Amino acid sequence: MRTKLAVAAVVLAVFPWFLHDYGLQVAIQALVLGVFAMSFNLLFRNTGLLSFGHAACFGAAGYTTALLVSKLRWSFAATLPLALVAAALVALVIGFFSVRLTKIYFTMLTLAFSQMLWAVAHKWYGFTGGDNGITGLLPPGLLGNPKGLYYASLVALVLVSGIIYIVRRSPAGYTLRAVRDNPARAEAIGISAFEYMVAAFVLSGTLSGLAGFLHVAWQHSAFPDLLYWTTSAEVIIAVILGGSAEFFGPAIGAVVLVVLEAVVRSHTQYWPLALGMVLLAMVLFFPSGVISLFQRRQREEVPRAAA
Amino acid sequence: MPLLEVRRVSKSFEGFQALSDVSLAVEEGSLYALMGPNGAGKTTLFNVITGRYTLDAGRVLFANQDISHTPTHRIIHYGIGVSFQRAIPFPSMTVLENVALAVLALDRKTRNFAHPLLSYADAAERAEEIISWVGLDDLKRQLTAALPQGDLKRVDIAIALASKPRLLLLDEPLAGLSRAERAQMVGFIRELLRSLGTTLLFTEHDTEAVLQLAGRIMVLHRGSVLAEGTPNEIRSHPQVQEAFLGREA
Repeated sequence: MRTKLAVAAVVLAVFPWFLHDYGLQVAIQALVLGVFAMSFNLLFRNTGLLSFGHAACFGAAGYTTALLVSKLRWSFAATLPLALVAAALVALVIGFFSVRLTKIYFTMLTLAFSQMLWAVAHKWYGFTGGDNGITGLLPPGLLGNPKGLYYASLVALVLVSGIIYIVRRSPAGYTLRAVRDNPARAEAIGISAFEYMVAAFVLSGTLSGLAGFLHVAWQHSAFPDLLYWTTSAEVIIAVILGGSAEFFGPAIGAVVLVVLEAVVRSHTQYWPLALGMVLLAMVLFFPSGVISLFQRRQREEVPRAAA
Repeated sequence: MPLLEVRRVSKSFEGFQALSDVSLAVEEGSLYALMGPNGAGKTTLFNVITGRYTLDAGRVLFANQDISHTPTHRIIHYGIGVSFQRAIPFPSMTVLENVALAVLALDRKTRNFAHPLLSYADAAERAEEIISWVGLDDLKRQLTAALPQGDLKRVDIAIALASKPRLLLLDEPLAGLSRAERAQMVGFIRELLRSLGTTLLFTEHDTEAVLQLAGRIMVLHRGSVLAEGTPNEIRSHPQVQEAFLGREA
């Protein structure tokens, strides 16, 4: 594992020097989606809760950055703390009301919340620019330079992965999985699930906000699409493609999804059709993600208690 | 003064009377059994005691404190542990992690998001002690998902013991076990009381095992108390003989 990680780190570090400008753009997009997918999976993997509202956290951070830069002339990097706070607050509100619900009801409520935020961003022309978005956000310095943004996104991915790794091994991480595995058993040993699940939602949402910030830096703009359900769907697709049970599965899924899209789009306009077929094949034949193609070793499943 | 006292408890679900006017008292240091066919109300009574279900009427007292409306996740802090009928602990974790988590949960140390679970040396040590005590030393690094039912019951009891319960509720500890495993489990339950002093309240279908093990027995039938007493009293109780011990009477 260590060697694999070291090789991956070296490859990722020298990678941008071998790419054209377009290739670099694709790489940045993949890293940003990778940060988002890893963050999303922090919640999904440890709690079993499938959020269809992570676009809200992603977009809240993105819009916070865009608004502070465009309206108050803040420097790009200085908006990061507030962008993360915005993502955290949105996650707190959605998490607080949603984690009590189970399965499909949780998923639907998270979707409803994020669509509400989308509607606000979409219609409030005076503040958010509505569907015209907020454009012309040119980050100065490091973030404005494609190679700089690539490395910033890479650092973000490493940071997020490190946080997820630490949380997974902590008592709180085990507690979350205990609730996921067997809620009745968890309660009987004295665990009250609610606060842990809200905490996991907030952490997952905050880290998703980091992806939202990077996305705006990459796109030089913010559009209501950031908050739209398709953004939530994209991250879920990345996680399905890569495999949620593997630590780096979501990041690998993000790379596969973004590269696949770039390749398919350069040949045909039927990308959604191709995506549909790929997803179908994945769910039917490789339900544990592309990563299962490369390894035989069976990792822990996501078992559910029947009692 | 009994350790656990259930006073005139009733509980119904949408018109179905699951428990009506049930009272029982479990003395500290005793083995108390609940018997009765499926649907008699045994598991409902457990769920009432552990706060999973709210009561329609009556009270539950533990060590003289009223715990009638205590949420389930606080019950353990009063000293009531539970082991479930279908023992499926936390399958994604090893045996050691299962038990260590229960130790930390009792000490309210699970809020930490930064330090590795097994770096809590005290908790890991206590977990290891309990695991040896239940005889699962060889399996402590195994994922529980891979273990057979007999071992899972022991893991589940180890988790319950990690919470240092004064009273342990065991829901059908012998269900799903082979004959050999049953005999082992019966010895194990006796040992719980003898060497740890844990008071036990358990449900069981296996009439012979209950009559062998329990100090007192309550027989439930359709949510009501049919009989209550020592094994000998239960054995010779006419209605019980008719309803359950027919073959032996």
